[in-house]
Order: sequence, then C-alpha cells, then structure tokens
Amino acid sequence: MLAVTFETLRQLIASGIVNGASYGILGVAFALILGVTGRFHYAFGVLYTLAAFFAFTFFDRVGWPFWLSAVVGVLITVAMGVGIEALIYRPLAAKAGSNALLAIFVASLGLGIAGSNLIQIFWGAQTHSLLGFALKPVSVLGANVINVDVYSVITAIALVAGLTSLLRFTGLGRSIKATRSNPEMALLIGVDPARIYLVVFAIASLFAGIAAIWAALKYSVEPTMGFRPVVLAFVVAFLGGTAKSPVRVFATGIVIGLIETISSIWLPVRWTQLVVFVILVLYLISFSVNRSWFTRLGTALTGKA
Amino acid sequence: MQVAANYIDQILIFSIFALSLNLLLGYMGQVSVAHASFGAIGGYAVGYLSLTHGWNVFLAVLFGAVLAGVVGAIVALPALRLSVEYLILLTLGVSSVLLGLFQTFPQLGGTYGLIGIPIASIFGHDLVKTSDWILPLAVILAIVYSICHRLGESPFGRVLKGIRDDDKATLSLGKNVVFYKVLVFGITCGLAGLAGGLLAGFNSLATPSQFGFDVSLAIFAMVIFGGTGNLTGSILGATTVVLTKPFLEWAVSLAPETAALWRLTFYGLLLVVLMRLRAQGLLPEGVSIFRPSTWRAPRTNPELASADVVPATVVAAAEEWETRLEVVETPADERRRERTWADAPVVLEVTGLSKSFGSIVAAEDLSIVLRKGTITALVGPNGAGKTTVFNLLTGFIPPDSGSVKLNGRELVGSKPNRVARAGMVRSWQDVRVIPRLSSLQNVMLGVQDQSGEHLAPLFANVAGVKRREREVREASMDWLSFVGMSDFADTPAGALSFGQSKLVALARVLSTNADVLLLDEPASGIDTQWVEAMLALIEKVREQGRTVCIVEHNLHVVDHLADHTYFMELGRITDQGTFQELTNSPRLAEAYFGTN
Repeated sequence: MLAVTFETLRQLIASGIVNGASYGILGVAFALILGVTGRFHYAFGVLYTLAAFFAFTFFDRVGWPFWLSAVVGVLITVAMGVGIEALIYRPLAAKAGSNALLAIFVASLGLGIAGSNLIQIFWGAQTHSLLGFALKPVSVLGANVINVDVYSVITAIALVAGLTSLLRFTGLGRSIKATRSNPEMALLIGVDPARIYLVVFAIASLFAGIAAIWAALKYSVEPTMGFRPVVLAFVVAFLGGTAKSPVRVFATGIVIGLIETISSIWLPVRWTQLVVFVILVLYLISFSVNRSWFTRLGTALTGKA
Repeated sequence: MQVAANYIDQILIFSIFALSLNLLLGYMGQVSVAHASFGAIGGYAVGYLSLTHGWNVFLAVLFGAVLAGVVGAIVALPALRLSVEYLILLTLGVSSVLLGLFQTFPQLGGTYGLIGIPIASIFGHDLVKTSDWILPLAVILAIVYSICHRLGESPFGRVLKGIRDDDKATLSLGKNVVFYKVLVFGITCGLAGLAGGLLAGFNSLATPSQFGFDVSLAIFAMVIFGGTGNLTGSILGATTVVLTKPFLEWAVSLAPETAALWRLTFYGLLLVVLMRLRAQGLLPEGVSIFRPSTWRAPRTNPELASADVVPATVVAAAEEWETRLEVVETPADERRRERTWADAPVVLEVTGLSKSFGSIVAAEDLSIVLRKGTITALVGPNGAGKTTVFNLLTGFIPPDSGSVKLNGRELVGSKPNRVARAGMVRSWQDVRVIPRLSSLQNVMLGVQDQSGEHLAPLFANVAGVKRREREVREASMDWLSFVGMSDFADTPAGALSFGQSKLVALARVLSTNADVLLLDEPASGIDTQWVEAMLALIEKVREQGRTVCIVEHNLHVVDHLADHTYFMELGRITDQGTFQELTNSPRLAEAYFGTN
C-alpha cells in the first residue's frame, strides 16, 4: 500500500463528495421513477444531456442571461420528461400489461438512442464550454475545490431535503408513497396514479436538469456527457434501494463517489472507473445467491436480530 | 461489388448475434444489454491469439466462443433470481466491466484495441476480399441457426418458454430452472463470442468501440424488430438494421457520418413506434414466412374459446356427478369412508413442520398424513397458512424444522424441481398456465423424463427425441381428453377462460404422473357447473389410486370429496377428522363461521 498524506486524502474525500453528490442526486431521481412508476427510464441520460444543451444554446447562441438560460433549459427538460411519460410510457403500459417493464425499457432505449444521435445531428459531436460565470478556486476545510462544486453539493443536499420533506410532510408526498407501495390501493383511497406518475417524472427531470447544468459549468457540454453519470445513477438507485428514502439513496451516491476517488490511491485511474461496477456485480451476486448470509453477518456485527 | 459484399458479411455476422440474443431474450425471457461485450471476448481472443501466438483466425474464433460461453455461464449465476430491471442493470454493469477490462491491459492495445489481425484462412483458402467471407459466414450462420432452432423449437424450447412466462410454475413441474438459465446464458454468450470473433477477423481489428454498448443496443434492437421468439425474424431484423445505413447514404444521399447518426436515430424511433404498434415485432412468435397458414394470429375454435363455454365432455361428467350428489351419505357411509382412510397406506408423512418469518409464525409444529388413494382436505380461515403449507411441502419455502417424508424419503432441503420429480406436484391458486403455449403444450410441459429437454440427446439422438416427443404428445392428449379439453389443444392457454385454464392446469399436474397431488383451491373462482366438473375429475383421480390433498374454501366441495380433513388456524392444525366430525365441533364453527 502506498503512503498517503493527509492532504491528499482530504482532497480525494472532497472530490469524492462532489462527484458522489452528483451521482446521488441522479440516483435519487432515477430511484423515484423506478420505485413509484416501475418504469426503467433509460432515456433519462438524454434528458440530462438536453438540459445542458438547451441552456448552452440560449446562453451562448441566443444571448440570454445565464440564469434565465439555465432555468429555461431545466424547464424544457421537465416538460420533456412529463411528455415522455404522458405520450409514450403511459399508453404503452396500458397496452403491454404484464410485459410493461420490458416494453417500456425497449421504447426508452429507442428514445435514448434516437435522442443522443439527434443531439449530435443538431449540435454536432464537438465539445462546447458553458461559461456562465467564472470558476474560482475555493478552499473548504483545507481541501481545494471550485465554487461550482460547492454550489452543486449545496443544491443537491437542498433538493434531497426538499424531496424528503415533500414525501414525509405533504399530502402529495403521502400520495406518492402510497402509489409506490401499492398503486391499486392508492387508487381505492382516491389517489390517481397517472397524475402521481407525471409528478414523479417532473421531479426526477428537474433533478437531472439541475445536475446537468452544474456538470456543464464544471466540465463541458457534449453529446456523451449523460452516459456515465446516468449509468452510475442506475447503480446508485439499485444499491440504495428504489423504495427507500431519498436520503439513503443520496448517501449511497456519496459512498460510491468516495469509493471511486479513494480507490485511486491504490489503483490506476482506468481501474477506478471499473471499481463501481465491480461492486455492483458483487452486490448483485450476493443479492441473488444468499441473502440470509448477510442477515447473519449483520446479526453477528450488531449483536441484534 | 465489394461494398455490397461488405454489407452481406455484416448482415451474416450480426444475424448470429441477433439469433443468439433471441434465444436468450425471446425464448427464455432473460434481458441482456451486454451481448456485444460477450462478442468482445471472442473478438479480443481472435486478435490476441492470432497476433501474438500466430493462431489461425478460425481456430481462435472457436476458442473465443468457448471462453465467452464460460464467462456467460458465470455471469448467469447472479442473474438467476433477478427480475427484469436488475437483469438490465447487471448486464449493463457486466458490459462496462468487460469493456473496461479490455481497455486496461496494454497487451490488448488499451483504448486503441488490436489492429492488423492477419488474413484469415479456412481449409487452405485465404479470405482476402470481403466477398471471400460470404460463403464461410453463410455456412456458420446456417449452423448457428440450426442450433438455435433445435434449442428453441423442441421440448427444450418448451421448457425455456415456460421459464420465460412463469418460472415458478415451470419449477413446480420438475424442471431445473437454474440449470436451464445458466446453460442457455452460456450457450448464447458463446454464440455471441463466435460472432464477435468473426467480426474481428473480418474487420482485421478488435477495438473497444466495435463492441461498445451502442452495438449491444443495436443487437437488442435487431431482435425486437424481427420479433422475439422468432428466429427468422432475427435475421430480418439484422438485415434491416445493417442496411439502414447504405439506404440512407444512397437514397437520401447523406454523408457517411451523418448517415450513421440518422441510422441510429431512425432505428431508435422505430423501436418506440414498434413497441406502440406492433410490440411482437415484424415476425411474431410462431409465424413463418414460408408457411402462409401461420400468418394470421391463431384463432382456433373462435366460438368455443371466446365465451366461457364448458366443454361437452365436462358437462357430461358434471351431470353424472350431480346424480351422485343426490344420494345422501348416511353416517354409516361416513364411518366406512373414515375406516377406508385409516386403512390406506401412508404416502406422505409430515411431522413437526415449522416456519416463521421474523416474529410471524406461518406454520407451527404441523403434522399431516396423506394416505394412498384418498383425498385429504386442508381447511381454515383466510390467513391460516394453508398455501404456505403447500409451499413448505414442495420446497418453495424451506421450513425451519420438521420433516416431510414421501414414501419414506426425506424431502426437506430438496429444491421444488426435486420434490416434483420425487412424485409430489402442486397446482396454483392463480392457475399459472403458460399463456403463450397452447393447452397441449402446457400439458406436455408436465410430462417427466423427456429426452428432448436435455442437450446431449437433443443433438445426438434425434430419432429417439422424436419418438419420445410423440409419446409425450399422445399421453398429454389423453390427459386433455380426461379433463374434457381436447377441443382446445391448439388454443393458447392465455386465450382460455378461467375455468378452462383451471382444467388445463389440472391436466398438466396429472401429466407429471406424480403420486401425490397438492391442489390449491381447485374449485375457487369458477361457476357451479365448473365446480361440479372439477369435483367429478378429482374423484376420478382418486379412483386411479393417486393421493390428493386439497386446500379449499368451498365447504360443499370439501364435504363431498374429502376422506379426511385437517382444520388449520394461525399456522397450526387445531383439529382433524371427517368433515362431519369437524362441522359438529363448536371450535370450527366458531372460527370458520363466526358463530357458536
């Protein structure tokens, strides 16, 4: 093992939290969709990318102020997310019945493939910079990050906190949770799942759009920018649990981010990108092979059943 | 000419990819979005072995196929119990890991991959021009097609379709679902490896992008276009997807780079439209372009299948039963029945069976005896744990303690398929017929010891498999006639009414030839006429010397069928005896009817 200085570790933890917050917020959004609607929304990545491209176009090409461009970009994403649910997924689910999950996944895959190529057709394959405001180095508890990192982590925490209180304290939130645990029962107590699904798609698209704007500011706007964060979001959502509290899913995202950066102490960079997937595959193996083994391990560690 | 040959070669190679994925997705219902990355195993094997070890390309292709098959079977292990969404995620993860691994090793060329793979030669002929590849590729495709066809359209394929539509029901009929999943995952990944090896040999390079995630998606799209569960469809799908690019280049005269983008956009949107308008694909399952009779959707006996018509034979049986119902049983008859029950040899002996889920006790110290040629009923209020007992007996839920002995053989610890093969088969409250298989095929799925369900005889003993299949078909037809459903032999089980599908499910349980039949609510949810038919049939089954245990809410049914009745409340058996004895006991009356 290599010796690591405290400074290096602190730096790695900081960037792990920054990356993890982004995975976490996307994971929360994806888990909300999968948990409540049961739709494997693969086209999520394209919506993420589109938010950045719209903001870029309004700001850089049309010449609107940055914040207006960003807000409009995110709102278009929200509208598209809701539109996909209303115009594509819902009719498909009604038709496919018990095969809905696969049918929707295939349609979503189609949307994802078409969307990412249309982006390249309209905007070209090159990389653009979104120079909304100046990136400044900031020191947080001694770790060097940039101002966008701080903003993105803060918004992510705020969004998760907002979603958690929405779910816990409002009637709408309770309806969402009721739909998540049992759509038929929810219908019986007067909750309209179709409406809840639209709300869920709106919230999730909002989260994706905001995460995309921060990523675009920090890195760049490019057609493939959505792929990796969104695949990691799938992983985070599954590891965190699609029917679990957003806080838990978000925390899973942070852990994944930390594992990714901290493993770079021992592993070459190319391997660290794999670490997350190796963890996922191991998790799924353990998940399917023997769940009781983990329960027993848990019992042994905590001393209670 | 060479340009056209290039597209023909690509169609041939991608047809292999699509066929193998179809076997997995269309026949066994297992989603994989990692198919191209298994192709990468083959591709890199070809690149590495031919470049550094001087192997013949085709030899390396074979090696790569075997390697991909082994990796596929290993990946299948965690995939076994995962639902569709987890399977998508797992294969997505596997795809990333495999592609990432290939880029990590400098020996494999890192992100650039392996280039300059030597010219392939087969039987002394160098494949220099692209047109030289057409013949060998066509031959290989034909072989792969016949393998997939043999696996898919055979007793083996019947089991796969059973797993696809209802793996629990298939498991309960004695099929080793786990084994089939691992085997088919391995075979299909091996074939993907073969295609990947050929692709690398054909392009003279093995690069990460050649086998990237978007290629996996393209293969997935080919299968969906062509039609899941239709092998010819997969070739059609591969052709469509491969030819979109030249079509766009020539017909709309787009630049090659733009055409590539539009091609992907085009088939992405096509997937969406297809799902909406024709989810079964261009060629739906069971449709053959060479047999016009299959072109229309199967609608055998429209007037029979549409309405909930009781088949004439069933009506006859029911009427016969009705006359017998009019004979009132005297207490003397009742005693005789109880004595016959007590004299019959014990077939199944359950002792001290317990199961709790956390603090909820589902079964506590159950002791049950089933005797040969008799009907035992398990009654009790909702939530008493009756269906759990069936799950415990058949291995679907492992008990915490206790013993289940079938003819002296301990069954606790056996998997459900082992229990079924040992001679105890259960039916399901929610029927669980395989909707996309015909009634006859459903019953055939129940028959045990079919050589055609195993890999070696399927390819090595074609005549034997054919002979056995004929026997299975005849035996199953007999069982269908027995339940009065022979007119519906070719009707897909999903098109039957609830009562009809219950009869098919009964025939399917009977066709296993199991000694002990556990029937979960055989008479619930159906009209009087159906109930009487069902009673007559179960009684006939008893006359054949089979041992039957029923869980039933309809006390009328229990009264007339049961030789012995157990009463169950909150996971415990609290009383037993003849049904008359039980109804006279105030305890049951209170618990069951809420009166005393």
